[in-house]
Amino acid sequence: MEYIIISIGFALVLLGLYGIMYMRNLMRIIIAFTLFNTGINIVMVSIGYIRNASAPILDAIPAAGTTPNIVDPVPQALVLTAIVIGLGVTALMLTYVVKLHQDKKSLDINNFKDLKW
Amino acid sequence: MVGPIYIIAIALGLAFAMGLFGKALKGITGALLMLGLAAMTFISGQWLWAFLTDSVTTTQIFTAGFKPPYSINLQMGMEEAILTFIINVAGLLGATYMYQTFSKKGEQLKMIFLVFIMSMNVTVMTRDMFNLFVFLEIESIALAGLVLMSNTGKAFQAGMKYLIATGIISGLLLLGIIFAYSFTGTLNIDDMIGAHLGTIKASSVAVFLILVAFILELKPFPANGWGLDVYTAAHPGIGALVSATVASAGVYVLYKVMPIAGQEWYYYVSLIGALTFVGSNLMGTRQNTPNRLLGYSSIGQVGLLMIILGLQDYLGDKTAFIAFGILISHYAAKAGLFWISGILKANDIKDWAALRKNPFLLFLFGTFLFALIGFPPFPSFFAKWELIMTLSTQGQLVWIAVILVGSFIEGIYLFRWLGYALKLDHSELPSLNITWNKMIPIWVMGMSLYVLGVYVTPMVEFGRYINYIPLLFILVMFALDFLPVYIKNTLSIGGVVWYMIDLWPRIEDDLMRQIFAVIFLGGAVITLAAGYSKKGTRKGFYPMALLMFAGLVGIIEASSMIDFFFSWELMTAGSYFLIIRGKRSMPHAYSYILFSIAGAYAILMGFGLAYGSNLDAGLTALGNISFLPTLAYSLLAVGFMTKTASLGLHIWLPGAHGEAESDVSPMVSAILLKAGVFGLMLLFLFIGTDNPNATKLLYVLGWVGALTTLVGNMSAAFQEDAKRLLAYSSIAQLGYVLFGLAIMTHMGWMASFTYTINHFMFKSILFLVIGGIVVKLGTHNMFEMGGMIKKMPFSFIAVLISIIVIGGIPPLSGFAGKWLFYNAIIEKGWYFQGAIIFFAGIIAFLYLYKLIHSVFLGQLKDNHRNMTEISWWILGPVYVLIIGIMIFSAFPQYVLQPIGEMLNPYFNTEIVSWEGTKAFTKLGYWDGTTIMIVVGTAFVLLLGWLISLSRKAQKVKQFNIVYAAERPFRPETTHVSYNIYAGYKKALGFLVAPGITNFWNTVSDMVLDIAGWLRRIYSGSIQNYTLHVIVFIVVFYLITIGGL
Repeated sequence: MEYIIISIGFALVLLGLYGIMYMRNLMRIIIAFTLFNTGINIVMVSIGYIRNASAPILDAIPAAGTTPNIVDPVPQALVLTAIVIGLGVTALMLTYVVKLHQDKKSLDINNFKDLKW
Repeated sequence: MVGPIYIIAIALGLAFAMGLFGKALKGITGALLMLGLAAMTFISGQWLWAFLTDSVTTTQIFTAGFKPPYSINLQMGMEEAILTFIINVAGLLGATYMYQTFSKKGEQLKMIFLVFIMSMNVTVMTRDMFNLFVFLEIESIALAGLVLMSNTGKAFQAGMKYLIATGIISGLLLLGIIFAYSFTGTLNIDDMIGAHLGTIKASSVAVFLILVAFILELKPFPANGWGLDVYTAAHPGIGALVSATVASAGVYVLYKVMPIAGQEWYYYVSLIGALTFVGSNLMGTRQNTPNRLLGYSSIGQVGLLMIILGLQDYLGDKTAFIAFGILISHYAAKAGLFWISGILKANDIKDWAALRKNPFLLFLFGTFLFALIGFPPFPSFFAKWELIMTLSTQGQLVWIAVILVGSFIEGIYLFRWLGYALKLDHSELPSLNITWNKMIPIWVMGMSLYVLGVYVTPMVEFGRYINYIPLLFILVMFALDFLPVYIKNTLSIGGVVWYMIDLWPRIEDDLMRQIFAVIFLGGAVITLAAGYSKKGTRKGFYPMALLMFAGLVGIIEASSMIDFFFSWELMTAGSYFLIIRGKRSMPHAYSYILFSIAGAYAILMGFGLAYGSNLDAGLTALGNISFLPTLAYSLLAVGFMTKTASLGLHIWLPGAHGEAESDVSPMVSAILLKAGVFGLMLLFLFIGTDNPNATKLLYVLGWVGALTTLVGNMSAAFQEDAKRLLAYSSIAQLGYVLFGLAIMTHMGWMASFTYTINHFMFKSILFLVIGGIVVKLGTHNMFEMGGMIKKMPFSFIAVLISIIVIGGIPPLSGFAGKWLFYNAIIEKGWYFQGAIIFFAGIIAFLYLYKLIHSVFLGQLKDNHRNMTEISWWILGPVYVLIIGIMIFSAFPQYVLQPIGEMLNPYFNTEIVSWEGTKAFTKLGYWDGTTIMIVVGTAFVLLLGWLISLSRKAQKVKQFNIVYAAERPFRPETTHVSYNIYAGYKKALGFLVAPGITNFWNTVSDMVLDIAGWLRRIYSGSIQNYTLHVIVFIVVFYLITIGGL
């Protein structure tokens, strides 16, 4: 099971990269970028996964000497942070797209090659 | 002491306050921003001070009351203190610079700016991997926000590209972090280092991802198109911070995480650094947009830092000094340059000529460029020195070569830029409107470069012996630049004389150094004295002339290699500024400085080999090079020969000397070239006779000397430009000197010394007089002159005496040189070369005849009918030199006999023995005094006879002849001296065909073509740039883990 999930994660990463490189529409590129981010998040969560363990939410303080059977909480915490950052980056990208569209009335990435060499 | 955590607290608190109460705080947000940045600067500054005074040790700051791995910890050590301090200083100065922009654009921008500066502080201090990621992302987002501030289409594009590229890179970093975490169970960087991830096959992917992400953050070539666009399109105030602080923080972050990978990976970092350093600079050579050029240069400098980080195993405990020396110079220079760019608002570096409207800015611009190249007295100079020396001790010659080649390529575009700024026409450009808040940050950066340079000097071995007093004097002269010429001239001459008096006791027992001291400082007095003929203020002339002379005298005084090299570079810088003063000198000064830098790097590498052999930085180390001695000697010889302008390395000289101002020509010809001679003499004395490692080299140099003489003299004979004729003559004369030295016998060296002294005197005379005439007549062309003998009799006599010396005709001292020369050649048995030299000597008569005939004899031109003698301020020094020639000719024994005695211990070959006024060799004897008396008597008798005869002669006026038809329209068609040697040119011209010039042109065209072709990868499309990033990752993976 965890292999399927981690594979899906990597597939999304590759799909995202493909989209970033081959899409022409800026909006699609941003969607591809979020796919890329989602893929990475899935990989991160699945790496912290432990078979048959439950979510790292404790109802009561575990008794001394015992270890609760939960998955590693750190990757999950990291993913939460990464999602928030991803949100920020995506929002800023969308701001940029608005500005770019205002500038050239176009969303085609090929129209934005003024800076070169 | 205030804890570093308050840096974060202050920035975040203020940013939130501005965000939440922006409306209420309106009006004081600007002040709040400045106060906040000042407080941050103060906190890191007090830590830095504490570390510098050794009153604290590295401190860990734990958050949330736990220790890692249960909490995030920050570290404040010496390195963190330096970095946070420079980041906050740049933030404070940057905000000062952009004060008006910020006021116009509202609170949000100030808020983002605070967060931006804060995020870099945290990336430097944090020891937690994930925290590092978070603040890198905050930095990216804040930067993208700041890029928006420009509000231009290009800025939007650049910011978008930046966001996408950094988004992908940080995705990789996340993957790397989670892998590393799954192997180590910690996010703490120090714990990760302890886990030795790089050595385990499975976890090396984690190492790979982390490393490649942090490397990509540094915009390595060629996966850096997105970074270049930010430099190009962002507001220059932001560009300054990206270049100065983001790059500094990024390099430090890489340094921090590299131990996670382990030493096996360091090599790859160097490799990428080398690719970036050379590649980025190479493409900069084709760039004309100032900000983008600065971007290329920034990335190049970061590449150099990556090389250094990767080589830290070799560099050992010098790593920090070297890395910080380069980093600080880059930081201050780039920030300053971007800020200047923001003032000029030019789209082409050619428009930087507008800088001349503000001499202060021009001064700072020059400071920044020289600091980037690594000239003294800037920190980068000492860092580069230590880098090369330390690498030499480790035998890392290839790395030295890569670093020097990359630095040279950087020089190609930086000096082209400086040349444009100094010379191009700026009358059409708008005048500069500079507010004080823009000027102060640039001044602070510029001055801190000088202060830091002096501060780090004693940290280098032998550095404490470097003498800064001449530089202080030059600084004073800069401050007095507004005074008229005669005051500054007097002060300069006074300074030189005072230094000479001060110097003399120190070199009392060293005749060789005394001779060169007289040439350099005596020459300085004489050529400066001629400067009284100039009017006005001559802005910038005196500091630069004194800089050159300070460098020259420093070379004499140097007892260590670093002192020598320090002075050598000062001399190069000073002479460059002197040469470029000529009206049409821009291309010539450019080629001069490029040859000089290349030569200096050859010398540096030679010194490195000497240091590597002995672990001794004293100059005597040159005498005992055991590590690749032939290479070391060759490099040093080539380096010195760029200054003596020997064949192959001479193409800069004719233009540089020919187009220079009238009193600069003798400075750079009669005096400056002797620096190369001094270097060669020093080198050859250390090599010694019969050194098996140098036999072939000396033989080759002998041929080079002979051919230089031939080509120099022939080219001189075909010149129509009087000053270029003299310039080619200098090349030839220095060829004689090189040949004599390469013979490596007592006699050869005597000849070379005689030629050196003679050349100093007669070339000063000729350039002063001809320079004066050229200014007076307003033309360089000899066919536009003529008949000056009656108008300028004193000039004529001076030139006549000089050419008698050059021709080697008795009784003057030129004959002494020739006589010694032929003795030496016959003794050595180098007959082929001797024949060439002999032949060249005959050709010399051709150009000497042409010179004196075209200028002084023949028909007076109509428009010169009212000419008078050139200024007595020029003739005065000239006649002092003529007296010198007369004394040297009549009593050569007073100079040559001590030289012979000095040379005796070095050579066991036949010596010149002296009996009173007679000099004896195996082949015969020569008596300067007697010849002088005999020839002088004959001359006086003949002259008296001629005068008595001509009393009855009828004087013929110029036009008292039949003059057919009309006045010649083009003077060259009727001037007897125009193309006078056409026949010879037809026969032998192929020898002086500009083959060598063409060769160097081809080389430079090739470099530019490669650059032009390579930079097409920067197509402007983010999708290509993404592809570059991915290909970079894949190739890096294949090389590192894939074992390609």
